[in-house]
Amino acid sequence: MTSLWFDEAAFELLPKATEPLQRMRKQAFEEFRALPIPSQETEEWRYTDLSDFELSFEAHLPSVMRTTSGQDLDGLGVVFSDLDRAAGSDAELVERYLHTLVPTDRTKFTALHGAFRTGGTFLYIPRDVRVELPLQTLTYLDADGAAAFPHTLLIADEGAEVTFIDRFASPDLARALSDAIVEIVVGDGAHVRYVSIQEWGAGVTHLGIQRARVGRDAEFRSLAIGFGASLARAEAETVLAGAGGFSEMLGVFFADGTQHFDHRSVQDHVAPNCSSDLLYKGALRDASRAVYSGWVHVRPGAQKTDAMQTSRNIVLSEHAKADAIPNLEIEANDVRCGHAASVGPVDEETVFYLESRGIPRAEAERLIVTGFFQEVLDRVRLDEVRHNAELAIQEELAELSTAGVA
Amino acid sequence: MTQNDATAPATLEVKGLRAAVGDREILRGIDLTVQQGQIHALMGPNGSGKSTLSNVIMGRPGYRILEGSVTFNGEDITLLPPDQRAKRGLFLAMQYPTEVPGVSVVNFLRTAYQAIKGEQISALAFRKHMKTQMDRLGIEDAMVQRYVNQGFSGGEKKRNEVLQLAVLEPTLAILDETDSGLDIDSLKLVAESVNELAGPELGVLIITHYQRMLNYITPGFVHVMMLGKIVKSGGPELAHELEDKGYEGVRRELGIEAHEEVDEGPDEGVA
Ligand SMILES: Nc1ncnc2c1ncn2[C@@H]1O[C@H](COP(=O)(O)OP(=O)(O)OP(=O)(O)O)[C@@H](O)[C@H]1O
Ligand SMILES: [Mg+2]
Repeated sequence: MTSLWFDEAAFELLPKATEPLQRMRKQAFEEFRALPIPSQETEEWRYTDLSDFELSFEAHLPSVMRTTSGQDLDGLGVVFSDLDRAAGSDAELVERYLHTLVPTDRTKFTALHGAFRTGGTFLYIPRDVRVELPLQTLTYLDADGAAAFPHTLLIADEGAEVTFIDRFASPDLARALSDAIVEIVVGDGAHVRYVSIQEWGAGVTHLGIQRARVGRDAEFRSLAIGFGASLARAEAETVLAGAGGFSEMLGVFFADGTQHFDHRSVQDHVAPNCSSDLLYKGALRDASRAVYSGWVHVRPGAQKTDAMQTSRNIVLSEHAKADAIPNLEIEANDVRCGHAASVGPVDEETVFYLESRGIPRAEAERLIVTGFFQEVLDRVRLDEVRHNAELAIQEELAELSTAGVA
Repeated sequence: MTQNDATAPATLEVKGLRAAVGDREILRGIDLTVQQGQIHALMGPNGSGKSTLSNVIMGRPGYRILEGSVTFNGEDITLLPPDQRAKRGLFLAMQYPTEVPGVSVVNFLRTAYQAIKGEQISALAFRKHMKTQMDRLGIEDAMVQRYVNQGFSGGEKKRNEVLQLAVLEPTLAILDETDSGLDIDSLKLVAESVNELAGPELGVLIITHYQRMLNYITPGFVHVMMLGKIVKSGGPELAHELEDKGYEGVRRELGIEAHEEVDEGPDEGVA
């Protein structure tokens, strides 16, 4: 019998990894046992209550599909493979970077991830190599009571360029856990576009951390699309570690039913002369709940920082609730930082305008929300990526125009 | 049911209409009938209630009907949502068109077209249908790719309203100061377009401050509105009379005191 409690027995059942990884796992398992479930008393977990969350799942390897848009990656020296496989074939890189951006002892859940993860995606782009078309991983889960530990480790060496789409999907499930980690190393002068599309079904609890480290004169652009899961807590952090770096973090989410979204972002300016821009847009209906909290942190010495943070929310139902909480923590004196946040219903003038053209209210709302999101997508220059995202949004919002009709 | 048999022209009938915003009565007993195939002009000083009348007819939220009725083809429409009014053939070109961020004109119009006609139309077929109207109005392809009214100049907004009118093919349209903010060339284009559209298939109520629009489109009926009432109606000569004597002349003639009219400042972008 496999245990559902992430205990010694369950741990022993895991397929063995390479020696260094096995050590990391063991340590993570100890951390998992020592750490408490994060408490709402802490600032980080204020908006998500997991005190009653039963950690009784079966560790599970979801099916993963990688697509390369038909590009010859081997020829370029690009490694795009299963993370455990890379731990053998590219041991040096994996050992050097795995769990450095998101250490296993960060929370009980990262420790759990460190201990029970199998599989995941490893992507390495060598120096000055440019991958023309987007690479994509689809992680698909369809087992009730399963815990998946998706992990993406993306390393773009100096001057490398890549676009990567991380897609997560499942049918509606009675109960499942997605405990996900994304680590992205953007080398000096590298350009990375990272897109995540989270479409877990109902019943899934999604706890994800994405952390990127941006090198000197490097560019990191992320787009996070969040539609799924019953509860989704998604943290996205960018560390601007080298002078002249740039980070753009875009987010689009749509919540319905009783979905609970807890989005957190950090723009961490360590090096001088960096700029970062964040724009998150969300729409909520039914009795859903969303909290966005963001930090801009300018460390001492990070002079000439230019940082902006914007959160916009449309609340389509009186039972839905959204909050946006911006935070600036500035420890340098020569910086430009700003934030803007808004939460409000759909604009009635606009609804009337559309209705007066024969468009029923529900359809008008759908169109308005689509347009509201479009403004985020317009910032994505790569056509394939934008198109992908547009389709995902269209599909998600399609029901908005029918479900709303009494 | 409605009296909408194939032969009867579509008819908008406003009877004894009184309407308020909050506690303030703005429309104080309006009677007006406009039929498909007719052209009416409604003139009146700033703040007399012309836009309020159009808004109440189209069902804009925020107005309270105190008394009277608005029927379209015999059906009371005051309780219908605006989209249902549009679907029955009403159209309002707005004085201040609203921006719809992130939604392109073509996408917006196709959605509207499908909703009104109750049928799907391929993007290609719709583009063709729209193209004819665009050419007539001198509207470039680039404009319909842009987001609805976002960053449009005053004149572009008005031309976009007329494009919608042309594409959606209503039976009765209200043009609320569609001529304001247009330069001389645009005014000509818009007026000629409206003139072409205003045949037996369409009835129009043109709200305007100026004779210049009426130089292109000759209304069969002219109405003067003051203080929430239509105080005078007549033929096309009435518009000329107004141009000569101003509203002061009408006031004197009818013994109306000029009070309570809030001047909302100069008309936007008079060419
Ligand atoms: N939603 C509203 N809220 C408050 N007041 C309103 C509203 N709508 C109309 N009013 C008031 O009602 C009066 C009539 O306004 P309306 O816009 O109908 O005038 P109008 O005849 O169209 O004027 P104009 O020629 O300047 O366009 C004005 O005093 C206006 O301020
Ligand atoms: Mg007006």
